[in-house]
Amino acid sequence: MTLTGEASPDATASPSGPAARAVGLVKTYGASDTVVRALDGVDIAFERGHFTAVMGPSGSGKSTLMHCMAGLDTPTSGHVFVGDQEISTLDDSGLTRLRRDRIGFVFQSFNLVPTLTARENILLPADLAGRQVDPGWFDYLVEQLAIGDRLAHRPSELSGGQQQRVACARALIGRPDLIFADEPTGNLDSNASAELLAFLRRSVTEFGQTIAMVTHDPRGAAQADRVIFLADGNVVGDLAAPTAEAVLEQMKVLGN
Amino acid sequence: MWKATVKGLLAHKLRLALTALAIVLGVMFVSGTLVLTDTLHSTFTTLFDNVYQNVNFEVRGKAAFTGSAGTAVRNPIAESIAARVRSVPGVQYADGSVSGYAQFVAPNGKAVTTGGAPTIGVSFEPNPQLSSLHLRQGKAPTTPHQVVVDAGTADKYHFAVGDQVRILLAGPPQTFTVCGIAQFGTANDLAGATIAAFDLPTAQQLFNRVGLYDAIDVLAAPGVDQNQLQRAIARVLPPGVEVVTGQTVANEQSGSINQALSFFSTALLVFAFISLFVGGFTIFNTFSIIVGQRTRELALLRILGASRRQVFRSVLGEAAIVGLVASLVGLGLGVLAALGLKALLDAFGLTIPYGPLVFQAHTVVAALVVGIGVTVVSAVSPARRAVRIAPIAAIAETQATEDRSSNRRIVIGSALAVLGVVLLAFGLTKPAIQLVGIGAIGIFLGAGMLAPLVARPAASALGRPLARVLGISGRLGRENSMRSPRRTAQTSAALMVGLALVSTIAVFGASLSRSATASVDDAVSADYIVTNGATGAAGFSQSVAAAAGRVPGVTAVSSVYNGQFEFRGSVTNLAGVSPYRLSETVTLRMDSGTGAGALAAGDLLVDTTTATSKHLTVGTVVPVKFARTGDGTLRIGGIFKPNALLGSYLVGDQVFLSHFDQPLPVAVLIRSSQGASPSGEAAVKAGLSSYPSVKVQTQAEFKKTQQAQVNQLLGLVYVLLALAVLVALIGIVNTLMLSVFERTHEIGLLRAVGMRRRQVRSMIRSEAVILSVFGALIGVAIGTGLGVAFAASLKQQGITDIVVPFTSLVVFLVLAALLGLGAASWPARRAARLDVLAAIAAE
Ligand SMILES: Nc1ncnc2c1ncn2[C@@H]1O[C@H](COP(=O)(O)OP(=O)(O)O)[C@@H](O)[C@H]1O
Ligand SMILES: [Mg+2]
Repeated sequence: MTLTGEASPDATASPSGPAARAVGLVKTYGASDTVVRALDGVDIAFERGHFTAVMGPSGSGKSTLMHCMAGLDTPTSGHVFVGDQEISTLDDSGLTRLRRDRIGFVFQSFNLVPTLTARENILLPADLAGRQVDPGWFDYLVEQLAIGDRLAHRPSELSGGQQQRVACARALIGRPDLIFADEPTGNLDSNASAELLAFLRRSVTEFGQTIAMVTHDPRGAAQADRVIFLADGNVVGDLAAPTAEAVLEQMKVLGN
Repeated sequence: MWKATVKGLLAHKLRLALTALAIVLGVMFVSGTLVLTDTLHSTFTTLFDNVYQNVNFEVRGKAAFTGSAGTAVRNPIAESIAARVRSVPGVQYADGSVSGYAQFVAPNGKAVTTGGAPTIGVSFEPNPQLSSLHLRQGKAPTTPHQVVVDAGTADKYHFAVGDQVRILLAGPPQTFTVCGIAQFGTANDLAGATIAAFDLPTAQQLFNRVGLYDAIDVLAAPGVDQNQLQRAIARVLPPGVEVVTGQTVANEQSGSINQALSFFSTALLVFAFISLFVGGFTIFNTFSIIVGQRTRELALLRILGASRRQVFRSVLGEAAIVGLVASLVGLGLGVLAALGLKALLDAFGLTIPYGPLVFQAHTVVAALVVGIGVTVVSAVSPARRAVRIAPIAAIAETQATEDRSSNRRIVIGSALAVLGVVLLAFGLTKPAIQLVGIGAIGIFLGAGMLAPLVARPAASALGRPLARVLGISGRLGRENSMRSPRRTAQTSAALMVGLALVSTIAVFGASLSRSATASVDDAVSADYIVTNGATGAAGFSQSVAAAAGRVPGVTAVSSVYNGQFEFRGSVTNLAGVSPYRLSETVTLRMDSGTGAGALAAGDLLVDTTTATSKHLTVGTVVPVKFARTGDGTLRIGGIFKPNALLGSYLVGDQVFLSHFDQPLPVAVLIRSSQGASPSGEAAVKAGLSSYPSVKVQTQAEFKKTQQAQVNQLLGLVYVLLALAVLVALIGIVNTLMLSVFERTHEIGLLRAVGMRRRQVRSMIRSEAVILSVFGALIGVAIGTGLGVAFAASLKQQGITDIVVPFTSLVVFLVLAALLGLGAASWPARRAARLDVLAAIAAE
């Protein structure tokens, strides 16, 4: 802790600082000769109340970045902070609590527990923590996501879009510091994608939710406040207030 | 295709090991039993061959009749026959021998007891060529006060030449001087028996054989034709006396022991079979799950051109390999198990002599056949399910729903259960124990097939309290146990069988115990009951009754004798009691005729059951036959209500003693003017202090002893059944393990959204508890039914009260829950340790 404090004075940043940030984040896989540097010294910050999109070619390290920053994976070197909490010092129990209480997730698929109903899935983190949720907030989310008539159904009885909306509700119900979404629309058709993205955008704008989302879709990225481009484990671009055209342009540049 | 099978097996070593373990234990039991019984068999055969090694012939009384235990009852022969035998040309040496009851008293004043082996006295044969007793120390007995002690007893109780030793006999106890210590060839004792050897005249005196021999052992002169000599000896023998070879006697002796051994081995094999049966359920379940999990893989194989037959063979091949590995491991462990079983029996007081382990080819064959057989047979149904997987399943989005054939299950399951009940009922009434067994198997298979129907609601109900107490992890555990009713039912089926058997024994045992004590109340009016303290021992001295009669305050004493006689041509048990002041010691409720009066007049009494079935009335004169006195008749003097202590046929002690040769009383009943009081008991004990082999008990104490005996037997059976329960638990571990692998992704998701390791563990444990309690509930229900049926079918044999021990049954359920918790601990830890990221990434 003291070491980090000296190395990076920002570690004691006030709660008004970024929701999460990484300093010199390196993640390697495999042994010496076949080593893959999935993240090659990434410095990044997700601002509070911002919707940040992460883009980059397949294999560029987007998922690895999400996992490391969400406490699902341990970095090879570098530091990750959620708020002012350095998470690389946390043990499994601390990380579990961090994920449960301060972070929300939406994955590309398999977001829901098949034996639980939609309602139970939404309440899962609160149940795990033995906490009550704000019923008004629950009703509001359910209404906003239009899943009110699906609450008693199990995931197998829901469409893909409905499943992802239930996952969003689960991510939002605890008002986490930060939501990580790794290609949440990857398996959805364009209508369902658009609805989900619009909702994510609204949750940032209307309730100040912080979201970091990986996407391949320029129109999706255009909903964000900022787009970060990754390639070969490095941040290679950073676009504020993006438009779909600007994103496409940047992708072309990087592609060449 | 074989390559795929073998690769698949190697890829899942853990699965292989767990699956095999269920069979390993059963095979271990089978081969252990076979090794143990072969070993015992060979030990006894060698033993008796050695004992009769030098005896060319034995002259003895012809068997009057063969008792129900298969042992011939013979009369002694006249001393004078020995001289006639000696005069036959070719006979080098012939000498008579006698034997009878003789029990040492240890230096601490307690009677020397064996674990069921006889405590016998013999006449010492001075000719070392003929005698199987070889003096290790000292010399042969020559005076009425000398005794030779077997080396086993001498070593154990530190008897040395020159010591004084008290010996309990049919008559009053006597003190002897140890003049020698003898071995049997190189063995210290004869199969655990204790032996006191006296000189011949003393032995004749002590064993009521004055002028008589039990047998005459003959040595042939060298070079004499054995067959001719045997015929020559036969010619000089009076009627009723025969001459047989030493080998014949050895064979008879080891034959009767081996008969007992084969009963013992059958009993153990039944338990081994139970474990294998339970193991079969586990194998069936495991393979069902594996086939389910490999649906895509198997379908892909079909797409790539594998035929149905190849898929079928691939699954059965996997089973065969598992069975083979399990059998080989089980076989190896079986040798250790043989030692373990021996130790177990020792712990329960059944002493068995021991020689080097005998490992025969049939043990290997049996191990492989049952191990591979059970595994392959159990995998047939899953293999058939694998065959039905359509190739399209490889690319289909959703997996086919299960339980399509649920109607067929209901029909077949119900048919099996009903058939089982019918066979069981038929087997119980007949009685035919094989039918009972087959019926029980039918019931278990039927229940196993029907259980999935109730598994979902049952799991839901059982899980509710868990969900309430444990919150989300309990709720998830409950949901998991409900998601596949078939898997839940199949997993718990093994435990169902185990607990059904345990409960059967519990109900049966409680009924037996209650009946045993109730029968004491019904049959005995005495204050004190004197029996031999050691279980399985012969009776005790006839003089105990007289000694008890001299105790101040004692008003009535009755010796109870037990023997066998032939009644209208069939051998059956006969009891004898003293009619004097009968009602003070024995409760005899007469249906017709008189009790004590008829006994005193020398008449036979029979119980109402016998009278009805054999159409006997008071006054009927029936033909009877006794080993010693031959044919005769007895008049029925009375008919009494069934009495568990006395059995069906009863005579007065005078009649009994006149027909039996020095019988030992099995019990002495005492009535005291002080009643059953501590002072009265102390007085009786003091009066019988010179008979340390007897145990004086009040009626209440006697009942407790009876119960303790029943409980000891139950304990042994529980221990043997524990293996089946263990196999069932392995099945639960296995299923949970497979479920954890199957739900890797889901567990990863739960961990990602914040489930703590402790919560993961408690989720898996909840599922295990639901599984085991579900199985236990059905098992206890079936077992209670079976136990009641067994007990009811033995009403004639003295199980008059049927008791359902609710406390025990509830304890079983609680125990099952705890065992389930135990079974879950490894899978739970495994699930909690899952790498979250890898779990999420797993597709
Ligand atoms: N568990 C792993 N073991 C080895 N290499 C991995 C592992 N996970 C990811 N990688 C590698 O790390 C790089 C980045 O992967 P990832 O973060 O999944 O990329 P993206 O999500 O941008 O497609 C890729 O080259 C990938 O092959
Ligand atoms: Mg990715």
